[in-house]
Amino acid sequence: MKIRDFDALNDIRETGLNKLLRGGPRIGVGMGTCGIGNGAQDVYEAIKTAMDTKGVEARIVPVGCFGYCAAEPLVNVYIPGGPLVILAHVIPDDAPYIVEEIVAGRIPVRKALCRIDAWDHLTGHVTYGHGFQEIPHWDEIPFFRGQKKIVLRNCGLINPEDIEEYIAVGGYFALCNAFQKPSRDEVIDEVQKSKLRGRGGAGYPAGMKWALLQKAVADRKYIICNADEGDPGAYMNRNEIESDPHMLLEGMLIGAYATGAAEGIVYLRAEYPLAVERLEKAAAAAREAGLLGSDILGTPFAFDFRLVEGAGAFVCGEETAMIASLEGRAGRPRPRPPFPAESGLWGKPTNINNVETWCNIPVIIACGGSSFAEIGTSNSTGTKVFSLVGKIKNTGLVEMPLGSALKDIVYGIGEGSPTGKRIKAVQTGGPSGGCIPAMHFDTPVDYESLGTLGAIMGSGGMVVMDEDNCMVDVARYFLEFTHSESCGKCVPCRMGLDESVRLLEKICNGDAEASDVEKLEELMPMIRSMSLCGLGQTAPNPVVTTLRYFRDEYEEHIRTRRCRAGVCEKLYMSPCENSCPLNMRIPAYLQLLKEDRIEEAAEIVWLDNPLPASTGRICQHPCENRCRRADEDAPVNMREVHRYIADSAFAGDLIVRVRERLLENKIPPTGRRAAVVGSGPAGLTAAFYLTMLGHDVTVFEEREEAGGMLRYALPEYRLPKRILNEEIGVLEHIGVRFMYRQSLGAGLALDSLTGEYDAVFLATGTWNETQGGITGENAPDVWHAIAFLEQVARSHRPVIGGNVVVIGGGNAAIDSARTAMRVGAKVTVAYRRERSDMPAITEEIEAAEMEGAEFVFLASPQRVVINEKGRVTGIELRRTRLGDFDASGRRTPVSTAEFFTLPCDAVIMAVGEKPDPDPLRQAGIHVRDNQTAAVHPNTGETNLRGVYAGGDLVSGASNVSSAMATGKAAAHAIDRSLTGKDNMDLVLKTFSFRNIVPAEPEGGDRNVSPVLGVGERRDSFDEVVLGFDAETALQESRRCLRCDVKEQCADREGALKEPVS
Amino acid sequence: MNEQLRLTIDDREITAQANQTILEVARENEIPIPTLCFLEGLSGAGSCRLCLVEVRGVPRFLSSCVTRVSEGMNVTTDSPKLASYRRMILELLLAERNHICAFCVSSGNCELQDLAQELGVTHVNYPYRFPSYDVDASHERFVYDPNRCVMCTRCARACGEVEGAHTWDVMGRGVHSFMITDLNQAWGDSSTCTSCGKCVQACPTGALAEKGRSTGEMKRSAGFLSKLSSMRNCGR
Repeated sequence: MKIRDFDALNDIRETGLNKLLRGGPRIGVGMGTCGIGNGAQDVYEAIKTAMDTKGVEARIVPVGCFGYCAAEPLVNVYIPGGPLVILAHVIPDDAPYIVEEIVAGRIPVRKALCRIDAWDHLTGHVTYGHGFQEIPHWDEIPFFRGQKKIVLRNCGLINPEDIEEYIAVGGYFALCNAFQKPSRDEVIDEVQKSKLRGRGGAGYPAGMKWALLQKAVADRKYIICNADEGDPGAYMNRNEIESDPHMLLEGMLIGAYATGAAEGIVYLRAEYPLAVERLEKAAAAAREAGLLGSDILGTPFAFDFRLVEGAGAFVCGEETAMIASLEGRAGRPRPRPPFPAESGLWGKPTNINNVETWCNIPVIIACGGSSFAEIGTSNSTGTKVFSLVGKIKNTGLVEMPLGSALKDIVYGIGEGSPTGKRIKAVQTGGPSGGCIPAMHFDTPVDYESLGTLGAIMGSGGMVVMDEDNCMVDVARYFLEFTHSESCGKCVPCRMGLDESVRLLEKICNGDAEASDVEKLEELMPMIRSMSLCGLGQTAPNPVVTTLRYFRDEYEEHIRTRRCRAGVCEKLYMSPCENSCPLNMRIPAYLQLLKEDRIEEAAEIVWLDNPLPASTGRICQHPCENRCRRADEDAPVNMREVHRYIADSAFAGDLIVRVRERLLENKIPPTGRRAAVVGSGPAGLTAAFYLTMLGHDVTVFEEREEAGGMLRYALPEYRLPKRILNEEIGVLEHIGVRFMYRQSLGAGLALDSLTGEYDAVFLATGTWNETQGGITGENAPDVWHAIAFLEQVARSHRPVIGGNVVVIGGGNAAIDSARTAMRVGAKVTVAYRRERSDMPAITEEIEAAEMEGAEFVFLASPQRVVINEKGRVTGIELRRTRLGDFDASGRRTPVSTAEFFTLPCDAVIMAVGEKPDPDPLRQAGIHVRDNQTAAVHPNTGETNLRGVYAGGDLVSGASNVSSAMATGKAAAHAIDRSLTGKDNMDLVLKTFSFRNIVPAEPEGGDRNVSPVLGVGERRDSFDEVVLGFDAETALQESRRCLRCDVKEQCADREGALKEPVS
Repeated sequence: MNEQLRLTIDDREITAQANQTILEVARENEIPIPTLCFLEGLSGAGSCRLCLVEVRGVPRFLSSCVTRVSEGMNVTTDSPKLASYRRMILELLLAERNHICAFCVSSGNCELQDLAQELGVTHVNYPYRFPSYDVDASHERFVYDPNRCVMCTRCARACGEVEGAHTWDVMGRGVHSFMITDLNQAWGDSSTCTSCGKCVQACPTGALAEKGRSTGEMKRSAGFLSKLSSMRNCGR
């Protein structure tokens, strides 16, 4: 039936509204390609079967996708009178439940995600109903909060294959509206007023393009819809067409009417079969309704529509290449001028817009250009649909007003990382876009701001990357993509990209030199400015942005031949080894233990980590965060195994043989002397390696015993000093000399050291407390954490009692809390953020809680309450709430007006430590603003030649393994500078062992160490974690998946054998 | 249509006709702009990117072979940046296939060689790819050595636009793009080739040559192409 006029359209609207709202319950199953891929077809069939079995009179229709990919399959349920309720994660087995509930007139709340009371389709308004307040409204769900659905106005709500439903929500009324305007110019005026910019990526004002086409004089004009969406990770155009094909047709009809084009072509990639099918069906329905063809809506306006399937070449998204492809030629761009607006398809004036640009048009005409322009920013109006994918919890299609901050999309809508790993960057705009680092996440997403950062809006792909993504590999991946999609016509793109890919491959394989990065940096601007079309001109963006923001990763690949993300296969042994700051060869000691070669296991452990028993107890074990066994069940407890190996060495005479092995492996004396100032983990590590490298090493320590924080800040129950003494004994055995009560600046002068020694390594740590900046902080019962811990470590006597409040959330806070409880105090820990934001090791927080510590979150200290006698009686805290996201992706605590006081007898402030800068400054060493020593990032050398620094002194308060790593790196650098040779590999030695990967994961469940009962811990400093026995250690070693084995061949019988190296 | 206008090229005030390209005007006034894929009488391919120039007020470089002059335009044909980018393009071309002049029929009469000399390419900073493509010597009069080809497509345009035979075309894409005759059949077996030799005259390097030529012996002249195309009023 042809629709001849407005009244006829209105009649159809009523029919459509009946389908949507009246005549009993209605079930819509989200059946975009995404939903079907997640099983929506089966859900649809299952619900249908369940309805048939029960003889239910309800309607079930396929709808498009509502955008929340992470929650698919999505089903919406509408019972007249009530709200539309969206169900998430529906599986076929849910069908009987859903149908039963609907029969009973209830909503299947168990599966409900959110409800919609009313919906503004922007071209029309639909009120569903009210009730079910217990189900959150759609915009209360984090994923939808802040979204503004203009392009996605109907997606997931109406049946895309039913033109009547589209008309019901106001569809084709904008076309009527356009026809009713006094002239075509006014349609273009509205588009120009809207300031709509091309959504394909470049952002050229759509109204201007339309005006050009309208002015062009020709016997025939064309409009084209670019639906050749080819960016990896982008799928908004697919969803838009699949979910609401009529909005595209309507947009193009309005465009054709305004510009005088007689034919519209949609160039849609053939890889989108469902979109092709639905668009064809929509066009057929529109044709039948008299909305396509001649005499449209009873007017003399005629418009032909044609769908052309693109074969998938990325370059065909470029307008001149697309025109070539439409004309039947190979998809290669041609130089402009002439521009398509003067000579496009078949030499006729042509206008090309992206799907999303066309889809915005009906709303602009229906609501007016100026009201559209109010959305977004003044230069980037309206919304943009993004496909949020990658390392993000809530994946899906997100439509945001332009100008929204990136962090609100990543941390707000996306809710950050699904695994708790640190989010590093977002790649916007696909292969033509750039990587935006987390530090720039407060950037508003609009055309100009993204451009300033070196990225582009592109079609709207947003790929989130975390610390497991190697940025060099990301650049290589995208460049490989553009390289293989380059048409090859122009030289800069064809050969420039080829050469660049080779350079990036060299870097990823560890074969590159610094000059290769320079070559890359020369090529990029050349390719960008000399290439013929947009593909080549934007292809350098991923490389340029990663070089700009992640240059350190490139340098690491080249200088240290390491890929910190553990992606570039040749640049790491295994994820655990790679994430260990000391690069302990973890799979090696696990395998050696399995082979009953504990002596060698102990040797490799010591060679990689001179404090294996201490770190086996207190390391924050980054290895476990990377362990691939975690994907199977739980990570291998690697830390406990090396603790076991070290403890067993000390338990018997194994340590004697380990010491012999170390001595055998020492480089012959070089005659060079090195001084190490500070005997904390960094100093001890540097001393160990310098000695192993053949130098004569003396350690100067301010206090009366060695160990630094390990001895004076780490509580005895975590690290018994007996163990630390044994480890220091090994250092003494291999030849390290210790001088005590030698304090830099006071008695020990740096220039006398530099005179006497060939190299000096400074690692004096962070012993100065950061002040909390609150009143009463200097009262006698207010302790600073490190001072408190040191006092207890020295005396083991209670220096504190009664009720104690600990301020802070780091390891020092938790250590203080557990220590205070052991000396008889009742402890409350107050932290200004949430529990999940606490930087302390999780096991430690749990242990403190078990031992009776109370926690108060979202509270920041205001003042210490002191009575007239000068004694502490309490601490006043101010309630905080979580505000905006900061650079770390955590919400910043914001002060509220609410205050409360915790009564207490003492306060421990654990809000951070920093180095004492004075001795450094006196010695002439550059000190940074945060009081840490400034060093060369590669060598650790300070501004004074031959003087190196490391540990917390350089990094600020950090952790034991990172501090040790700086000592190891400094020893390496010092040795290279003293000897001109690289002897580190000799010291570290090569070990051989079996390299066979078990066919199935072995070893069973993860083993954890037995712990002392909570009752026994009170009033006692006995070690809490007791460690593995031999059998458990062996069992745990078997759990290793051997990620270090990179290739393995099978022999003729199919049995695995080791690769021939 | 052919109104007169004034523009500046390299600080020289020049009068030109509105339908001329920057390259045409520059050449008329003896201002050199390097080109490789351009050949008078053929359509502009804009693919070698050597003829790019700076135009004041335009943020991008423009291809002078296709961009028409306009009133008041201020063009710079050479700058340190352009010179270095052009050298890089030539280096990349020289690295792409086997341009070993000492064994080339076109040595001494080769546009690639001339450009390298003019633009001061003394070294190639990129590793040579040294492909080994089969030489097609199946044609009775001509020989096609893809190892010398720079993918300028002058042969294909001469063949299609002037001769109308459409024997030559590009196969594949990216670094794998390749000039072919017919549907990648041997040139000698081509049913479309008229053996007119225009492609050979249009080729800037030693990729297409007459049989029987030895090193440095292949001299060519493609000047007749522009006359032919104006006679036939095609290509423009």
